[in-house]
Amino acid sequence: MGRKAHKNDSLPGSLDMLILRTLSLRDLHGYGIVQFIQQSSDNELLVEEGSLYPALQRLELNGWIDGVWGVTSNNRRARIYKITAAGRKQLAVETRQYAKLTLAIARVMGAG
Amino acid sequence: MTDVLRRLRYWIQSAKRSEALREEMELHLAEKAAELQADGMTAERARSEARRRFGNVGLKHEESREIWVTRFWSELGQDVRYGCRTMTANKAFSALAVLSLALGIGANTAIYSFMESILLRSLPVADPESLVVLNWHSRPPWDGSKEWVHVIRGVQGILWPGDKGAMVSGMFPYGAFETLREGNPVFSTLFGYFNGHNRNLAVRGQATSASSEYVTGDYFRGLEVLPAAGRLINSEDDRPGAAAVAVISFATSQNRFGGPANAIGQSILVDNIPFTVIGVTPPEFFGVDPAMAPDLYLPLHTNVLVDGTGAARMYGDGNFYWIEMMGRLRPGVSMAQAQAALAPHFHQWVATTARTDGERANLPALMLNPGAEGLGSLRRQYSKPLYVLLAMVGLILAITCANIANLLLARAAARRREMAVRLSLGAGRFRVVRQLLTESVMLASLGGAFGVLFAIWGVRSLTLLLSNGRENFTLHAELNWRVLGVTAALSVVCGLLFGLAPAIQSTRPDVMPALKNGRGGGPRRRAQLVLVVAQIAVSFLLLVAAGLFVRTLNKLHSVQLGYARENILLFSLNARQAGHRDPEMATFYANLRKRFESIPGVSSATLSQSSIISAGMAGGAYRGTMKIGAVTGVTIVGAGVMAAGPRFLTTMQIPILAGREIDERDQPGSPSVAVISERLARTYFGNENPLGRRVTFVDEKRDLEIVGVSANVRYGGLKEGSPMTVFTAASQFPPDRVTYALRVAGDPLTYVRSVHEVVREADSRIPVTNVFTQAAEIDRTISREITFSKLCTGFAVLALLIACVGLYGTVSYSVAQQVGEIGIRMALGAQRGAVVWMVLHRVLLLAAVGLAISVPAALSASQLVKSFLFETQPNDPGTLALAGVVLLSAAILAGYAPARRASRIDPLAALRHE
Repeated sequence: MGRKAHKNDSLPGSLDMLILRTLSLRDLHGYGIVQFIQQSSDNELLVEEGSLYPALQRLELNGWIDGVWGVTSNNRRARIYKITAAGRKQLAVETRQYAKLTLAIARVMGAG
Repeated sequence: MTDVLRRLRYWIQSAKRSEALREEMELHLAEKAAELQADGMTAERARSEARRRFGNVGLKHEESREIWVTRFWSELGQDVRYGCRTMTANKAFSALAVLSLALGIGANTAIYSFMESILLRSLPVADPESLVVLNWHSRPPWDGSKEWVHVIRGVQGILWPGDKGAMVSGMFPYGAFETLREGNPVFSTLFGYFNGHNRNLAVRGQATSASSEYVTGDYFRGLEVLPAAGRLINSEDDRPGAAAVAVISFATSQNRFGGPANAIGQSILVDNIPFTVIGVTPPEFFGVDPAMAPDLYLPLHTNVLVDGTGAARMYGDGNFYWIEMMGRLRPGVSMAQAQAALAPHFHQWVATTARTDGERANLPALMLNPGAEGLGSLRRQYSKPLYVLLAMVGLILAITCANIANLLLARAAARRREMAVRLSLGAGRFRVVRQLLTESVMLASLGGAFGVLFAIWGVRSLTLLLSNGRENFTLHAELNWRVLGVTAALSVVCGLLFGLAPAIQSTRPDVMPALKNGRGGGPRRRAQLVLVVAQIAVSFLLLVAAGLFVRTLNKLHSVQLGYARENILLFSLNARQAGHRDPEMATFYANLRKRFESIPGVSSATLSQSSIISAGMAGGAYRGTMKIGAVTGVTIVGAGVMAAGPRFLTTMQIPILAGREIDERDQPGSPSVAVISERLARTYFGNENPLGRRVTFVDEKRDLEIVGVSANVRYGGLKEGSPMTVFTAASQFPPDRVTYALRVAGDPLTYVRSVHEVVREADSRIPVTNVFTQAAEIDRTISREITFSKLCTGFAVLALLIACVGLYGTVSYSVAQQVGEIGIRMALGAQRGAVVWMVLHRVLLLAAVGLAISVPAALSASQLVKSFLFETQPNDPGTLALAGVVLLSAAILAGYAPARRASRIDPLAALRHE
């Protein structure tokens, strides 16, 4: 019920990490998160916008983010998410794991 | 913890959250569209582009919802709702299915609850697993020349055959009990008991018959039973010369004293001997034998008071086997270890009781058996019949499921489009199958729920049938949690069973033709035919079983008893237990007989040591060797001896072929007389006149003169009885307990009150027991056969009905399918008759296949019930043939209506309908 398994990413689970990272910088609504990720990655990471929502629900269920209804910067009604303390801890964990993974892959690619 | 609470909260609020999520997604799309518009797209294009980039909105919404609502449960909820809708849409079908399932599951539940109570329930005592029953076994006691060569010289109870003809028993001499009890390293307690049978229990002047059990001092301590009131018997009470105390059962304390507390300290008379009640056993305690629940527990040594000083001999006689024993193992000791430790000890002791080498060669060997379930007599008696019944109701449930499966298959044709649409819209095949299975399980569960109601009724009627009027029938089947659990499991299994094939059939992936048309055949049709054939086969099995049992019953009913069955009232009295003694007792009984004869409506009254049909069991008046003429004469083999009072033959309507019957002339002082049956006369005297000749009872050194010859009378039961009887005078061989027979006009039971009054006037301390009409008494001995016969016939009829309904449905369906073909045939000139034959011929083919499968099965299965039959072979050809004929006729009947319908098809209409 709302744990790991994931479909649309090249590296499993990294969407969660990206969302948490985004929200650790500022509070955003769903559309805003998509914009941020795409812009920050120079449009390299194109997130299927719909996939965001299951991920957001999962993060909210696990207690890592918190969503409240509000108004965005351009006066639109939206659900705005912010990261929680538990979420920050989870972000640190996932960042470490991701770093380990990329290091391992680099080693394999550089070996031989 | 907060995690769990949060999840719970989300789940509860799932509807609201779902709405909020939808709104959130819509806002996202709106924002994206606005942005695209700002970049220069038209409003229309912007919206559709935003949608495209988003992905499948519906799917994403679903995925998101799944996060907080477990998929499994939400889908289950959907399936259940859908199932309810489908069921209410097909009310008739659902009702029929639920009803037939209720009957099938209910019957299974009822019988299973009986099995559970007999086979699985343990004694209601602490830690029954550590109890062991002591038995012994030895080779058969007869040597080559059929003489009895064994240490056992006397036995009070039952010897039963073990494996390979060995002799097994649970009775031991008292010396063995004392020896094994001393310093026993493997048992923490060893206790003994023996059946005291029925006694006259008088409480404040009111006398009734009560069952009793003699127990040793450690009995209650060993079983670790706590009293409901007062205290229980201990070793101090079980000494020769101790005060006479008694413990009564909970039920007895309520019936006779109004409650356990009121019983303590009361004085009672047991067979006219005073006892004091010191305690009451708890309500669920019934002793160690589930077949019999004693009303009264007496210390072992008090049998000397009750049975007379002659009983004291039993204690010292090392060759008299009477006491039964059970022990509680010490912690850590296994039954095998205990047996290994005690067997040599017992062997040593029993060797000292052997007098000859022959006896020494065949000494009993000790054997321990688990005691958790108590003595096995109940199990032995009922387990096989119950297994047979369970098999039968299991088969009925199976064919009910087959019927429902068939109906579902037929309905699957109608739902083919619905399934095809769902499959094409992307529903997984497994998902659809799961939904159909949920429907079937729901149907089955409803059936199971109603089945429980039906089972309650079933248990009650089965208890009535099996107990058959016996007073203290201890078999109490109850619908406890275990049984209900089995019912629930059975329902689910049934639902899956009959739902699986139709579900898989309905969801075959060849979607296109179904979408277009909706006709199908092939594998579904085959499945239906297989099911119908299976139903026919099972019905045949049950018909054969019913036929065999009915035939057995008929054979039993046609056994010539030689005495009257109707218009006779039987009842028993035991004056000795109320304090009467010889010779006054014989006079008392004789006077009572005359008083009974004077009751208006009674044409004659007589007495005997027992009713004729129970004679073998109660023990004859004399059991030893009988010879014709002097001691050196020919031994009479295989005859029963019956002590009968005056007018016995007239009352029982047994013709007197020569001489006279026993009458008032025959008194204790006058010469001993005997009346023999015709078969005995012919066998031992040929054509000579037996009157005046003598019969010698060797063991009692008595000489009787033959004064009459009666027509043949069956002495004993219908199955085991013997046709040779010797009647002696009750006044000369006085029994302690007598059974009176009254020949009356009209219904015998209307005279019961008068009988009670007469007895009360004569002596109010004597209870009247075993009141039956002669017809009921005879039926009681064959109650099991009667029960089986009734039940099996009922089952067979039910099975046949279900099979015919199934056949009818299948044939109707296939006729409906083939309307076009039949229309063409008729248009081409086929006659009505030919069409009828075409349909019926298919029906007969199905029935024939069913029979072909079933006949070998019936032949082998009937061997299993061989022991229940009487003068009927398990492969009795008449029964098989009759069952076959019944089945074929039923099949033709079932197929006739659709066949007629087929013949009435208007060819033009049929062809147009295509």
